Amino acid sequence: MSYTEIQTPKNPSTKDTTSVPQVLTPQSSQIGLMRPDHSKNVVIDWLTTVDHKKIGLMYGAIALFFLLVGGVEALIIRTQLAIPENDLISAQRYNQLFTMHGTTMIFLAIMPLNAAFFNFLVPLQIGARDVAFPRVNSFSLWAFVAGALVINFGWILQALQVMGLFQASGPTAGMNDFVPAMGWFGYAPITGINFTGAGTDFWIMGLQILGIASLSAAMNFVVTIINMRAPGMKMMRMPVFTWMTLVVSLLIVFAFPAITVALGQLMFDRCFGTNFFVVAGGGQPILWQHLFWIFGHPEVYILVLPAMGIVSEVLPVFSKKPLFGYAIVVFSGAVIGFLGFAVWSHHMFTTGLGKVATAAFSLLTMAIAVPTGVKIFNWIGTLWGGRVRFSAPMIFSIGFVWMFMMGGFSGIMHSSAPADAQQQDSYFVIAHFHYVAIGGIFLAVVAGIYFWLPKMIGKMWKGNLSTWVAIFSTAGLNITFFPMHFLGLLGMPRRTHTYLAGFGWESYNLICTIGAYILAFGILLLVVDIVRCFRYGEPAGDDPWDARTLEWATTSPPKVYNFAKTPIIPARDALWEDKYGPKNRKITYEDDHAHGIHMPSQSWMPLIASLGFIPLGLGMSLMQAGVPFMGYFAIFGLVMLSIGVALWALEGPGGYHLNAKENVA
Amino acid sequence: MHTAEASHEDSHDNLVIDNKKLLMWVFLGSDCMFFGTLISTHLIYRKLYPESFEPTALFSLELTSFSTFILLMSSFLMALAVSAMHKGELRSFRNNIIGVVFFGLIFLGCQVYEFAHFVHEDLTLSTNTFGSTFYMMTGTHGVHVAIGVFWLVCMYFYSHTGKMDAHESAVDVEVAGLYWHFVDIVWIVIFTVVYLIEFI
Amino acid sequence: MKSISVRLLRIFPTIIIGVLTAFFSGCSLDTRMSTFVPKGPIAETQLDLFMLTVWVTGFIFIAVGGVYTYAIIKFREKPNDNRPLPTQGHGNPLIEIGLIGASIFLLVVIAVPTLQGIWFTHDTPDDPESRMGSWYKGDGLSDEEADNPLIIKVKGYRWWWAFEYPQLGITTANEMVIPAGKVVHLELRSVDVIHSFWLPKIAGKVDLIPGRTNSMWIQAGDNYLNWKEKHGHKADDESLRSEYSSYLEEEIYDYYYGQCAEYCGDSHARMLFRANVVNDDDFTTWVADEKNGHKAPSNMNWDEWYAAYDENPNQLSGDLHEGLKIFMGRGQCASCHQVAGNPRALGVAGPNLTNVGSRMSIAAGWLNHRSDTNNVDLEKQYVNFFKWIKETDVVKPGNLMWRANGGGIGELTDENGELALLTDDEIHKLSLYLQSLK
Repeated sequence: MSYTEIQTPKNPSTKDTTSVPQVLTPQSSQIGLMRPDHSKNVVIDWLTTVDHKKIGLMYGAIALFFLLVGGVEALIIRTQLAIPENDLISAQRYNQLFTMHGTTMIFLAIMPLNAAFFNFLVPLQIGARDVAFPRVNSFSLWAFVAGALVINFGWILQALQVMGLFQASGPTAGMNDFVPAMGWFGYAPITGINFTGAGTDFWIMGLQILGIASLSAAMNFVVTIINMRAPGMKMMRMPVFTWMTLVVSLLIVFAFPAITVALGQLMFDRCFGTNFFVVAGGGQPILWQHLFWIFGHPEVYILVLPAMGIVSEVLPVFSKKPLFGYAIVVFSGAVIGFLGFAVWSHHMFTTGLGKVATAAFSLLTMAIAVPTGVKIFNWIGTLWGGRVRFSAPMIFSIGFVWMFMMGGFSGIMHSSAPADAQQQDSYFVIAHFHYVAIGGIFLAVVAGIYFWLPKMIGKMWKGNLSTWVAIFSTAGLNITFFPMHFLGLLGMPRRTHTYLAGFGWESYNLICTIGAYILAFGILLLVVDIVRCFRYGEPAGDDPWDARTLEWATTSPPKVYNFAKTPIIPARDALWEDKYGPKNRKITYEDDHAHGIHMPSQSWMPLIASLGFIPLGLGMSLMQAGVPFMGYFAIFGLVMLSIGVALWALEGPGGYHLNAKENVA
Repeated sequence: MHTAEASHEDSHDNLVIDNKKLLMWVFLGSDCMFFGTLISTHLIYRKLYPESFEPTALFSLELTSFSTFILLMSSFLMALAVSAMHKGELRSFRNNIIGVVFFGLIFLGCQVYEFAHFVHEDLTLSTNTFGSTFYMMTGTHGVHVAIGVFWLVCMYFYSHTGKMDAHESAVDVEVAGLYWHFVDIVWIVIFTVVYLIEFI
Repeated sequence: MKSISVRLLRIFPTIIIGVLTAFFSGCSLDTRMSTFVPKGPIAETQLDLFMLTVWVTGFIFIAVGGVYTYAIIKFREKPNDNRPLPTQGHGNPLIEIGLIGASIFLLVVIAVPTLQGIWFTHDTPDDPESRMGSWYKGDGLSDEEADNPLIIKVKGYRWWWAFEYPQLGITTANEMVIPAGKVVHLELRSVDVIHSFWLPKIAGKVDLIPGRTNSMWIQAGDNYLNWKEKHGHKADDESLRSEYSSYLEEEIYDYYYGQCAEYCGDSHARMLFRANVVNDDDFTTWVADEKNGHKAPSNMNWDEWYAAYDENPNQLSGDLHEGLKIFMGRGQCASCHQVAGNPRALGVAGPNLTNVGSRMSIAAGWLNHRSDTNNVDLEKQYVNFFKWIKETDVVKPGNLMWRANGGGIGELTDENGELALLTDDEIHKLSLYLQSLK
C-alpha cells in the first residue's frame, strides 16, 4: 500500500563495476507473504514476473503458437476444399475448424501478438520503467492463457467422444459437438440450446475470460500512456505506435462491454431459460448481431491499428525521414477508431435494416475510407525524398502497404450496400478480410518482429532468410486469396464444407489450396528464422537500424529497469534528434535518486487469480454437458479467483531497489 | 482493495491524476457502455412488445423510491467518508463507511424483497422478455452494489489494522467513492427509464 | 542482401501478373451462379455498382500504386551511399488537404449511385405489367390478388426451402417456378436459424431471420417497357414484341441456381435451391398441375385406393402401389410430407412432394438429375432417390428425415420394436413411386 515497508539500504553500493544491476534490498510483503523476486528457478521467475518485457515476450510466444494452431486448422479447411465433394473431414468437423480458425486467429493470435508489442514497447517508447499496474499486467497475460485453454478444451472432449469415451448427458444431450461450431460471430439462434452443444458453452466462457483479460490490459495501457510518460514526452511527441496503442486500448475499453453483455445474455439463455435470443419466447436474434458488431467492428480496428502503428514506425527509420504528417496520421488513427463505432451495421446489409439505415451505414462506411487513405498517402509521403533501405522490416512494411491497399479496396466495394448484397457471406468477403488480416496485420506484425526482435533479445538476425519469408508469404497470400474474389463473385458461399462440381469453382479452389500451402511454408520459414535468431544471432547493439524512437536509446535487450536514469525528452523522434539534431535537442537524464531505482516485486497472486478462471470456465461449460460435480468445480475456480484477488490486495505492491550502472552516455 | 498499485514513484511528471483514480475512471467509462447495453436491450424489447410489458401492476413505486432515496443518501455519506479520510479523521471515516454499508444493505434488501415478490407474482427470468431484461439489468446493478458493500466492509476492517497511511489510503477511499457514486448514478438512470417511465 | 531484395521487388509483380493471367485465361466468368452475368434488373444494378467500385478503386490503385512504386525505386539507397541525410520534412498540409479532398470526391462518385441503388432495390415497384391480373391466365384470383405482383413466401428450414404461393394456394419445395420479366415479391421467414436467400444471377442476398419477416423483390429479365427503353426502341409494333419474346427465349428462360448463404449448421453447404424461369403460359400450366396434384397409382381415385388399402393392402399390387403403401405405412413418409391430392399425406415438417418427379434435383439441390436438354434424366433420378432414401444421413448430415425424435427413417422399427431400416427392395419401390409423382 505504501512504500514505508521497504527497507532502504543504509549504504547503497554506488561502486558496482558491472552493468548488471545489483539487488540491494530484500523484498517484503505487507502480510508476510513470500514474494518470488529474483528466483533462481527460471520457471518461477517467468510465471510470477511483473516485468512488462517478459510478459510481452510470453504474449508473443503464446500468440505464435496459436498462430500455428490456427494455421493448421486453415490448412485442413483448404485441403478439404481442394476438390469438389471431398470427404476428407465431416461437415461437423469442418464447421468446428472454421469456427476455431476464426476465433483462434482473432482472439488468440493477432490480439495477443499486438499485446506482445504493446507490452514490450510502450513503456520503452514513453520512457517509463514499467506499465502503471505491473501485477494487473501479469493477470491479463494469465487470464488470456486461461481463456485460450477453456476455448480450446473442447478438442480434447471431441477426441474422447470420437473414441467413444465421452457422451453428453445434460441439457445438450444428443448434440455431440464439444468444439464451437457456429462461426466466430456466433449468430443467434444457432448458438441456442436447441442447435448446438457444449462447444458453444466453451466458446462463451472462453470469450468472456479473454474479454476480461483484454479489458484489464487495455485499462492498464490507457493509464500507462497517460500517466507514465517521461518528462518532456508530450502527447504529440509520442511515437505513433504508442498513439495507436492508446487508441486501441480505448476501443477495447468501450467496445468490449457490448460483447460481454451479449455473451452474458446468451449464457443466461442457455443456462437459465431467459428469452434474449430465443424466438419462441419473443427474443430477437437480430439483437445479437447488433450487439456483436457494435463490439465486432471496433474489434477490426483493434486488430489493424497496431499494425498501422508498426508500419508508421518502420517506414521512417528505413527512409531516414520523419513520418510524413505525424499529426494527421495520429489524428486519422483516432478518427478511424471513433468512426469504427458508427459503422457496425455494414456487416448486416442483408438483414433487412430498411433503406434509410442501409444508406446511412453505407455512407459512414465510405467515410472511414478517407482517414485510412490518408494514412497510405502519408506513408508514401514518408518514403518520398528519403533514402529507402530494403532491410527485412522494410520489405514487409512495403508489402503491407500494397496488400493493405488491396484489402481496403475490396472494403470500399463492400461499402456500396447493393453491391455488398452479392458479396456478403461469399468468398469475396473471405478474400477481403484475409487481405486485411494477413496482407495487412500479419505482414506488419512480421515487420515488427524483424524490427524489434533484436531489441527484445539483443541478437541480430542471421542471413537473409527474411527475403524468402517475404516471397513465400506474399506469394502464398496472393495465390490463396486473390482467386477467392472470383470465387465469391461466381457464387460460392462461405462456410460450406463442400461444393458440387460444375459451378466453375473447381480450379479456383485448387489454386487457393496450393496457395495456402505456399503461405504455410512462408510462415514455417519465419519460425525457423526466429529460432535461428535466438540460437545463432550475433549481439545486436543498442541501435542496429539507426532508428529514431526512445526504445533504441537503451540497451538491447533492455535491463529490467529499462532506463538507468529517467530520460527527459526534448522532441519527437527523440533518439534521432539526439543523434543528428541540434545540441538543444539531445536527450538529457534526470539525476539519480539516492536510493536507486524502485522496482515492483514479483507476485504469485495474479497467476493464481487468473488460473481460477480455468475451473470456473470449464466447470460452467461442462455443467451443461451433464458432467457430474462440475458445479463444484466451477465454485472451486471462483474461490481460487477470490483468494488470489484477496491476497493480491493484501500483499501490497512490495518492491525493491536497484542500483544500476549507467547504461547511457 | 489494493488491486491497483503504483509501480514506482519516479517519473510522475506527467501525472495529473493518480494512477488508481485514472484506472477507476477508465473502468467506469467501460462500465457505462456495459450498463448502456443492458438498459438499451431492456428498452428495445419494451418498445417491441409493449403488451408483454405491464409492470405497473407489479412495480411498487413507493418501495423503489424509498430504496432510491436510501442509495442517494449512501452516496452522501460516501462523500463525507472521502472527505474525512482526506482530513485524516479515521474515526469519522469509519462512522460514515458504516453508514454507507448499512444503506447499501438496505438497498439490497429492498431488491431481494422486490425480486421475491415478482417471482411470487409469476414473473421469472423465463416468463417473457421483460422478465429476462429486467432481472438481468437490475440484478447486474445489484451485484455492483454488493461488490461495493463488500469492498467498503474490507476497507472498514482494514482501517483497524493501522496500516492505512494518509496519502495512499485517501486515494484508495476516493477510488471506492468514485465507484459507489457511479453505481448510484446508474441506479438513478434505471429508476427513471425502467420504473418511472412506466407510470407516465 | 540488398541487391537480392531489389531484384525481387522487380520480379514480384511479374510473377503475380503471370499467375493472374493464367487465371483469367483458364476460368470462365459465365458460370451457374456467376454475378457477372446478371439476368434481371436487381442483379444488373448490383453488378453496375460493383463495376463502378472496381473502376474507381482500380484508378486509385494505379495512381497511388504508381506513385508508391516510383517512390520506392527512385528513393532507394544506392550502394555506398554517402549523400547527406534526407531533409527531415514533417509533412505538407496542402498536399494532405488536396488528397483528402480528392478521396472524398471519388467516394461521392460511388456514393450517389449507391444511394440510388439502395432505393431501387429496396421497395417492390408497382409495375402494371407485373400485376397478377395482367398476365396470369388461371382463375380464382380475388381483385386484390390480381392487383398485386406474384407473392412467394420463402421459408427456410434446416436444410431445405419451402416456397408458398399464397395467391395461388400452392406450395413447393427447393425448386421455385417464376414467370420471366415479371416483378415477384418475396417474403422471407425462417423456422429455425438464420438462412440467406441468394440467387446470384437474379438478385443478391436477403437473410431469413427467425422472428421477423424480411422482404425483397426479384425479376428475371426486363419487362417489355424497360427492355424497349434499354434498346432505344420508340415504336411499338409486332416485330418488336417478337424480338422481346426471342430475348426472353434466348437469355432469360432458364434453370437458375441459388444457395443458402448464411451458415446454418451441419449441412449448410447442402442447402441449395433452384429457380425455374418460364413463360406465362408454362407458369399457368405448372400452377394447374400443382393444384390438381396426383391420383393414386393405376389412375385410381383416392377414396377407392384407400378403401382397398384399409380393407386389405395386399390386394394392391405392382411396384407403384407397393411404393405408395410404404410411403403411407412403414416408411411413415406421409407424417412429414404432403402430396397434393392424397388426402392422408398432409405432413408439414418436410418438403411438399407434389410433382417431385418433375423436379430436376432433390435433397435441396444437392442431388441433381437434369439432363443436357433441360429434362429429367430418369436413370439418374432413380439413383438419386435411392441414394437419398438409403443414406439420408450421409447425403445431408444431421437432417431431420434421418432422425426425427423417434420418427425418422433412420429409426424405423418392426412390429417387435427392433430397429429395421427400409430394405433395398422397399427403397426401390418407394423410389419408383416418387418418380411417378409428376
